Amino acid sequence: MLQHIVPASGLLFTLQNILWINIGVFIGAVFAAIPGLTVILCVILFLPVTYSMSAIPGMMFLLGIYCAGGYGGSVSAILINTPGTPHAAATMLDGHPLSKQGRTKAALKIALYASTFGGIFSALALLFLGPQVAKFAAQLGTPECFMVCVFGLTIIAGVSGKSMIRGIIAACLGLLISCIGSDPMTSYDRFTFGVGRLYLGLDLAVCLIGLFALVEIVGRAEKKPDELHMDTSKMHDNGVITKAEYKRMARPTILGSLIGVIVGIIPGTGASEASWFSYSQARNLSKHPEEFGHGSVEGVAASESANNAVTGATLIPLLTLGIPGDGTVAIMLSALMINGLNPGLSLFTTQGDIMYAIMLGLILVNVFMLLQGKVLTPIFAKVVSIPQEILTPIIVIFCFAGAYSVNKNYFDVAVALVFCVLAWLLRKLDMPPVPILLGLVLGKMTETNFRRALLISNGNPSVFFSSVYCWIFVGLIVLAVGTILRGKLREKKPQAQPVTKEE
Amino acid sequence: MKDKLDTLGAKLARKEIRIPVDLTVGVLFFLLGGVVLLIMPHQVAISERDVVNGRAFPTLLMGLMMFCSALLVGKEIYKLAKKKPLEYKTVNLLVEIKALIILAILLVSYLLARWTDLFVVGAVFCALAFLIYFRCKKPSYYIITVGLAVGIWAAFRFLLNVRF
Repeated sequence: MLQHIVPASGLLFTLQNILWINIGVFIGAVFAAIPGLTVILCVILFLPVTYSMSAIPGMMFLLGIYCAGGYGGSVSAILINTPGTPHAAATMLDGHPLSKQGRTKAALKIALYASTFGGIFSALALLFLGPQVAKFAAQLGTPECFMVCVFGLTIIAGVSGKSMIRGIIAACLGLLISCIGSDPMTSYDRFTFGVGRLYLGLDLAVCLIGLFALVEIVGRAEKKPDELHMDTSKMHDNGVITKAEYKRMARPTILGSLIGVIVGIIPGTGASEASWFSYSQARNLSKHPEEFGHGSVEGVAASESANNAVTGATLIPLLTLGIPGDGTVAIMLSALMINGLNPGLSLFTTQGDIMYAIMLGLILVNVFMLLQGKVLTPIFAKVVSIPQEILTPIIVIFCFAGAYSVNKNYFDVAVALVFCVLAWLLRKLDMPPVPILLGLVLGKMTETNFRRALLISNGNPSVFFSSVYCWIFVGLIVLAVGTILRGKLREKKPQAQPVTKEE
Repeated sequence: MKDKLDTLGAKLARKEIRIPVDLTVGVLFFLLGGVVLLIMPHQVAISERDVVNGRAFPTLLMGLMMFCSALLVGKEIYKLAKKKPLEYKTVNLLVEIKALIILAILLVSYLLARWTDLFVVGAVFCALAFLIYFRCKKPSYYIITVGLAVGIWAAFRFLLNVRF
């Protein structure tokens, strides 16, 4: 590891990288602060910008957005009792009561410090655990790689949305869409319907603009007029956090960071799960559980440290096995692959300098998030109240410009619109979009490993059960499916009771 | 005009359609799987020598999709037979009409940009159309939004060198 650190530092500490980190942090915090605009939407919108960049500045920019998004979501949660991002919901429980007590600045500071600690803790976990997991990943052959893809898709299909079956159908749809274009092994065209432009396949960024960004605009139809205007409360306090409060913050922050890292490593789980779990654990272990929900410093620290501690940990399965920990990092995978960086051990050996620069960069991202948070939080707070009348068309124009600029043609804008309509229809049918995203991202990798494994075995499907690792992944898939189904059945039980009573 | 629209909106807001979600998803995706399998020979060319050809993976996917869809349909039929309540999703007519209007704004913005080959035309239309959709009466909002629309076009055109 040490042999990579020095050259990686040289690659990382350039004016260009520092600039992109800061732009990313600023954009991420602003986007996440606005209710209704998510981090994933922000990453999708700005992904085309990274296409012309090399790997390090491109990843630094996206990681800046990703990490700062974790903190930005808490700004509106604290100020207006509306989480900017779903994972800031737990922060809202204590952050907003603190704000109502006239301690808005203090609440924002607690969220910022806890987020920074969680983020740096997670970045260090990535730095030390990543290469070890990559060594394990290097022992996997094509059948095992296929099973890894199936494992990742199964978990995400299972945990996204209410029904596991609907999640699997959505994942199949995503994988099918990824088949459009030339066959990765023979170059024959597939599902192109005579449209020449489809031969190269559908660009991931374009599909995602439709699936996640434009559909949110159409989703404005569901909002009532009063939901479109949000006034922020003013920050009058001096933002002082007492020594006693710092002491009380320490334990939940460390605990939250640990929980965030563990939850983040598991594919399919994300910042929301981590922040809620951390919040409940902090309440259970607190000497003042009665304060939770009424402006507890510990509550804010626990949820914020956990949701930012997920950021580095989700990159561990992404960089080592190619399995994105959540939807946002799935998009980052495409940014890596465009620069010829394919997940696995080779990333840490042949491309070691670049990889270590990215991992060290994650620490730097958190440092700049802290600095920007300290200076620019009043601006982030003002952004919360930008009128939707102005914001909505601006997002659409960004989406269209982003889709056009990928290949510099209007065909891609039309594709984004088609995906927007598809996403809206799927939303009406309660179909989760994240498994489609995973299908799109993992499609080529899954198919190539599937076909290569069958070619090696001359078409014998028993190749997928031919090694210990295969059986381990089969076991993990069965375990994951069992756990998810058990959880879903538990969720349904309370709903079933009233029906029985009526009967 | 505003009052008429409000009255119409209030009427539409009361109209709701209930969709049996699992049954609809099951039938729709079973049919989709079937259609994809049917068109596969015309859409996916293969070589006879291939042990595993380009149809293998999509066929596997469609098989899995149809199996899952059949499971959903079977589950719902079982519920119907046992007279258990199905899972419904309520769709509000007003929301859907508003969504269609937004989609129309997106489509016209795209078509204007494409026909004129000037992105800025579509961008300005989009800005104005959304402000009208939100019934915005503040002139400052119109100035700011149109200014931003032109600004974004200019940034992509002159800074990022995207020719549109």
